[in-house]
Amino acid sequence: MRVVIAEDLALLRDGMTRLLRDNDIEVVAAVSDGEALVREVMAHKPDLAVVDIRLPPSFRDEGLRAALEIRRRVPGTAVLVISQYVEQAYADELLADRGGGIGYLLKDRIMRVVDFLEAVRRVADGGTALDPEVVAQLFRRRREGGPLERLTPREREVLTLMAEGRSNAGIAQSLVLTVGAVEKHIQSILSKLDLPQSSTDHRRVLAVLAYLQQDN
Amino acid sequence: MRRTLTDPATYRRLVYLLLSLPLGVAWFVALLTVWSLCLGLVITPFVIPLAFGLAAMTRGFAAVESEMARSLLEVDARAPAPAATRSGFWARFRALFGDGFWRAQAFLLIRWFVGFPIAVVLLSLIATALGMIFAPLWVPFVHGGAHLGFWRPRTFLDSLALVPVGLALLPATLLAVSPAAALFGSLVSDLLAGPAGPPNVTSALDQALIAAPVGRSNITGAAADPVSPRRGFEVHAAVDGVVVLGLGLIWALTSLGYFWPIWVALPLALALAIHGWNVLVTERPSLVGHFRGSRMLTTTAGVGAAVSLFFISIWAITGHGYFWPVWPMLVIAIALAAEVVATLLASPRHAEMAERIETLETTRAGAVDAQETELRRIERDLHDGAQARLVALGMSLGMAEQKLADDPGRVGELLAEARLGAEQALRELRDLARGIHPPVLADRGLEAALESLANATPMKVTLSVDLEERPAPAVESAAYFVVAEALANAGKHARARRVDVRVVRTSDLIDVEVEDDGIGGADPARSGLRGLRRRVEALDGTLSVISPRGGPTRIRAQLPCAS
Repeated sequence: MRVVIAEDLALLRDGMTRLLRDNDIEVVAAVSDGEALVREVMAHKPDLAVVDIRLPPSFRDEGLRAALEIRRRVPGTAVLVISQYVEQAYADELLADRGGGIGYLLKDRIMRVVDFLEAVRRVADGGTALDPEVVAQLFRRRREGGPLERLTPREREVLTLMAEGRSNAGIAQSLVLTVGAVEKHIQSILSKLDLPQSSTDHRRVLAVLAYLQQDN
Repeated sequence: MRRTLTDPATYRRLVYLLLSLPLGVAWFVALLTVWSLCLGLVITPFVIPLAFGLAAMTRGFAAVESEMARSLLEVDARAPAPAATRSGFWARFRALFGDGFWRAQAFLLIRWFVGFPIAVVLLSLIATALGMIFAPLWVPFVHGGAHLGFWRPRTFLDSLALVPVGLALLPATLLAVSPAAALFGSLVSDLLAGPAGPPNVTSALDQALIAAPVGRSNITGAAADPVSPRRGFEVHAAVDGVVVLGLGLIWALTSLGYFWPIWVALPLALALAIHGWNVLVTERPSLVGHFRGSRMLTTTAGVGAAVSLFFISIWAITGHGYFWPVWPMLVIAIALAAEVVATLLASPRHAEMAERIETLETTRAGAVDAQETELRRIERDLHDGAQARLVALGMSLGMAEQKLADDPGRVGELLAEARLGAEQALRELRDLARGIHPPVLADRGLEAALESLANATPMKVTLSVDLEERPAPAVESAAYFVVAEALANAGKHARARRVDVRVVRTSDLIDVEVEDDGIGGADPARSGLRGLRRRVEALDGTLSVISPRGGPTRIRAQLPCAS
């Protein structure tokens, strides 16, 4: 797997490069601003770009805009956006093209190395990885009334993990269930929320996110 | 009754009332002298030092009276604060003759006109009672005995009859002490105490100046000034009325000849008229508009008219003749004309600017203060939060390093602990950063930031934001923190379940309104709301918190923004 990193703080840029290389992920370029990121991605056509939201020169959402530009210019490039804080509004913008291969995580999550690497691979593979905080915000937005209230507590747990982008196997492992049981919960959730039964994990996740993002 | 007689407080009150004899006379004579000098020399430059002297004297006398009331009546009357140290001759002059000055004048007069007779009556009653009680000791030895009008006790046996009368009279007199003292106590707290009393940095007049142009933010439920300028004027008028009525009565009971009380009534009326004009201008700032917006000119015109009338009245009373008041009136007219010219020459907005400067001084002090408080809070949060967590994390890592050789199993535990500590520290730092300035506000504007806020609370928040373009960052951020604080208040204190947030831009204002369905009773003096108010005021905005007990709470901020 080939990765480009955009992070303006040298300490974090070098740390991340080392972390990925140690786990047999090839870092083809590590840059410190959005323009360079777009340039390097066009040049190397990597599988994944890991982008910090706040980059020079504006130190606002430069990274987010660069990420969206990458998606437009080199379709199919997976993007994992990392940040010191997460906002559901940014998640909405990232997920807008419904293409998959999108990740949006707090930088804190990098510390749980195994989970982080799993998320990196999943996003590069076309899946999604959404920070639990974003998912919590999505849930809160849709809290009153509506079909979500009809879910059992277990189904809500499963739905939360689905929205984070976990695979069925991942959900089964973290809830200590069998994959079969998880499948059954998912079928029930999809029918309660009136969502189509999709073939792949990724498609289902996107449908669930689209559902959660609707304004009620 | 026995309690009244054995209570030392009764005797302290008695001393206070009896002190009216020397003090009442002293105040009256001193003030009468200086006032007469002032009025007599009003057309000469000597009036200026005299006026300053009068103000200083009044403040000094009032301080003595406050201290006396505090120690003898146990009334909490704050001594007058030192004079304002505001720059500018006229500003200082005006501050000296603020509302506090007139109320102190009224009190000092009362001390004489009311206190003196009370003291005389008390003193004679006590002397009589004591004389009766000890009558057997002196009556038989005095030639001619005692003189009691209808009866002249001469012998020892005669005088014995006086003892019980005296024994009854003394406690009866003492019982009258407390009500009389209570009257003075309430006068002291009305006229000498209270924040609007002595001319501090903000006299009542200046508060009106601040309030007029931009609107003082009013927080319902905050401690209101206990004595309004109008109330001060009413007390002043009532006292003058009683004084004139009393003198009229004395005149009617005595000679009924030449109506001398007019010489007291006229100066009192002059002072009352000036005070009244001051209060009127304070209450109706629109009046100033008729005088080219200059408060100075407004005051001078009123004072000039009153003084002219005063002289004309004197002329009318003293038998017409040569119309000498034309000279002081001429001087007043020249002074007025000079001031009109000065007002015209100085930018017509001069007065407005002076008011603006006062507002800015006040709000800047508030803003600096709020910032200081905020920085202290951040320092404390860092110290107790992230810094402490990093120390703990370092300790876990150090221990892991130490155990590496002999207890590798424990190392994993310590490392996991260290990671948890780091995550916790990050979370705290993130919350802290959001509390200083939420990144999404800078990146995406008010609506997105408020949505993010709304998503972070467990309450049901209805959000309606109607902004065409983004306001200035400071305004945007103040609006954000108004909503943030209101939501925090609704969730934490008001136990609200739903909150309506409305942000509308009118032509030159951003109007932020937050209403919850909670139990109300928000305390505007709580540090959060207080800091918020300072923040809003620093932007020339207003903040109102309406939070009756039982709810609902409505917090509204209006922030000006140039379009």
